[in-house]
Amino acid sequence: MKEEFARWDTLFVQFLKRDWKKIMVWVLGLGLFSAGFVPAFEEIAKDQGLLGMFETLQNPAMISMVGPTPIETAADYTLGAMYAHEMLLFCSLFSMIITILHVVGHTRKEEDLGLMELVRSFQIGRHANSLATFVETVFIHVILALFIAVVLISFKADTISVEGSFLFGASIGMAGLIGASIALVTAQIMPTSSAATGSALGVIGLLYLVRAGTDVLNVDLSMFNPLGWTYLTYPFTENHWILLVCGLVFTVLLSIIAFVLEGGRDLGAGYLPQKEGRGNAKKSLLSVRGLLIKIQKGVIMGWLIAFVIMGAAYGSIYGDMQTFLESNEIVKQMFSHSDVSIEESFTGTIMMVLISLVSILPIATVNKLFTEESSLRLSQLFATKVTRGQLYWTSIGIAFFSSVVGILLAAGGLGSTAMAAMEDRSVMSIMDFFAAGYNFLPSVLFFTGLAAFALGWAPKLGKVVYLYLGYSFILNYFEGLLDLPEWLLNTAIQSWIPRMPIEDFDVRTFIIITLMSIALMVIGYVGYRRRDMIEGI
Amino acid sequence: MTNIVEVQGLQKKFGKVQALKDVTFSVAAGEVVGFIGPNGAGKSTTIRILLGIIKRDAGNAKIFGKDVWKDSLEIHQRVSYVPGDVTLWGNLTGGEIIDLFMKLHGGGDQKKRDELIRRFELDPKKKAKGYSKGNRQKVGLIAALSVDSDLYIFDEPTSGLDPLMEQVFQEEVEKIKDSGKSILLSSHILSEVERLADKIVIIRQGKIVETGTLDELRHLTRSTITLATEGDVAEIATVNGVYDFKQKGNQATFAADHQHINAILVKATELGVKKLEAVPPTLEDLFMRHYKG
Ligand SMILES: Nc1ncnc2c1ncn2[C@@H]1O[C@H](COP(=O)(O)OP(=O)(O)O)[C@@H](O)[C@H]1O
Ligand SMILES: [Mg+2]
Repeated sequence: MKEEFARWDTLFVQFLKRDWKKIMVWVLGLGLFSAGFVPAFEEIAKDQGLLGMFETLQNPAMISMVGPTPIETAADYTLGAMYAHEMLLFCSLFSMIITILHVVGHTRKEEDLGLMELVRSFQIGRHANSLATFVETVFIHVILALFIAVVLISFKADTISVEGSFLFGASIGMAGLIGASIALVTAQIMPTSSAATGSALGVIGLLYLVRAGTDVLNVDLSMFNPLGWTYLTYPFTENHWILLVCGLVFTVLLSIIAFVLEGGRDLGAGYLPQKEGRGNAKKSLLSVRGLLIKIQKGVIMGWLIAFVIMGAAYGSIYGDMQTFLESNEIVKQMFSHSDVSIEESFTGTIMMVLISLVSILPIATVNKLFTEESSLRLSQLFATKVTRGQLYWTSIGIAFFSSVVGILLAAGGLGSTAMAAMEDRSVMSIMDFFAAGYNFLPSVLFFTGLAAFALGWAPKLGKVVYLYLGYSFILNYFEGLLDLPEWLLNTAIQSWIPRMPIEDFDVRTFIIITLMSIALMVIGYVGYRRRDMIEGI
Repeated sequence: MTNIVEVQGLQKKFGKVQALKDVTFSVAAGEVVGFIGPNGAGKSTTIRILLGIIKRDAGNAKIFGKDVWKDSLEIHQRVSYVPGDVTLWGNLTGGEIIDLFMKLHGGGDQKKRDELIRRFELDPKKKAKGYSKGNRQKVGLIAALSVDSDLYIFDEPTSGLDPLMEQVFQEEVEKIKDSGKSILLSSHILSEVERLADKIVIIRQGKIVETGTLDELRHLTRSTITLATEGDVAEIATVNGVYDFKQKGNQATFAADHQHINAILVKATELGVKKLEAVPPTLEDLFMRHYKG
């Protein structure tokens, strides 16, 4: 038995030497992210902030995202309670994800790369590598937990107790260990390292979704969920240390299972057979459009789902908007237009935010064509009957399509949840949301046009379009707060577009910006047709 | 004979780098041309201009009598190309990518495709992210060899292939050569193309420095001969056409002009040959020769 683990300690020391920089970034990054937002939360908690936040987070949609709080009345809701409520679940998730990548990277990935064969040929036990990885992971998480606790305590906030701080840190550390043990098991079962990473992340995603349901229906059921053993410890309020023991037992059990599985398999092979791909292409792939869609499908779907979720998240606060807005001076100022309802005012601004996000997708789609070009993947296609026009306009077409669908989903997600949250007190119809969304379509086209122009004339500057998007977003976001001069505001394309539903639709602006965007695309095409393809730079 | 490819005084500058200074050569119908030069000489740049991927600064380039930039689309219907560095989409399988290339080129032959996949021992059901460089190269080659074209352009096609697969490639190229197609084959290693090429074009620092059949070029150069004799080997040094003579005991190593090879051998037989080794000129020798004049 001992032989199986022979020299794990040598490997462990080796890992620490190799990884110490990564570990530093990991502990500092995740640690500060987990513990460093106390001042920001103190800001939110001012005035009636705690009350507003408490009400907002009672909404089932919010509970399904951030989880529940054990506090029952707004009066008992403290800074500490709010911090744990809003931060702990997300930080635990991050911790799990990072750990999964780390553990698979040290175990299965090294096998796939053929490094392990070399290692195993020395006098090193079959389980030594896995054990060393596991011990390293424990080591990292103990440091991480302590670091988080110390940072939390250092803010000296009244309701952020010392005990709670240690529990908060320990919960995030435990989350990492749970993730590590899941990854250790999938690393044995799956045929490749990417499948091992994917399935471990899939398990975490599933646990998250299941707990979203049980949190809303009956929190007690979430106690059976490994993810529940992290955020349901309720630091700063109830301090359920006992859940960490569940987590520890779970981790040890899974790890033992992983070691047993590892004992029975060949190096570089899992228990599940390698899934074969297609020997022949499907018909749908066999065109420029088919290809471009295929290679971007994942990214486009990911963003579209993100748009719905973002829309729904903002939509869910319409129910308690009044309380929420009155709780905070800054927020109030941002959304105040005197003679219209707060909901309509909010819609105007939030739609600008959502559609700016939507604009990322078509920019990415157009930029992707240059990525393909410069990474040489199109070389062989350039020498077929595929024209540059086909490549260019198909990319623009996909960008346009994803813009239209993106707006539909963002506005729809916002509208439908908002309508549900407002119930019969609604001052708007769902069509108002769609109108407000598509009102911004020209701005999305404009960003697409800029990216297309860059693609044709200065493809390396394609990324600058994101900068301009960020710039114009920030200008518009703070428009109400800072007294910005008119000319400066006008450098952002969104400023030209009226804020529906507060303001009226403006046909002229809509058409002019659309035409400008089309002109940019056509000019871009002229450049794309006559420039050198840039390969391998 | 009509010329399939006709290149004249081609020039191309990338920023400050003058990649091509003066490139002139031709490929006749049914001819296999080896396009040889060290790394960075301008082979890929020339080929990219021929395919309309980049635009020339000066000079003329025609394929099938058509301008390579303006009429690239018509030209491409009858051209197959494999780039020097085949990069693929990681989440597609080799089989899918081959089908895609064949479809986008047009005129593909499914039976030929399947046969080539078998001969090159490619697993078409594996995702491309799992392929080695050699396997990626095979995907490009199979796709290009499975479609019907009149001109095949291969940019360093065998880099990354193991010797056995290189053999398969040579045989396949021989087949298309026998069916009367024209082939432009670039490489930085002379021996890679010498079996197939009817003509060699040598490029160095953006200039064509030598053009001709392999034999013609060989005549310009010397083989390296190692010889051991019964008699005094030093006598060889006096024969015309022997250079760089070095002796060690009764064994000598020297460079020999091809025109004088007969006289050298006659002398060697007189002395009684115990051992004879001849190494043909390498590409480097060709270059050295060219630069020394
Ligand atoms: N897109 C490019 N931008 C800048 N320089 C380039 C580019 N492509 C090629 N070059 C330069 O041109 C010269 C010729 O390159 P290349 O044609 O790739 O050589 P070869 O294929 O013979 O190895 C090299 O000096 C190379 O660095
Ligand atoms: Mg090259």
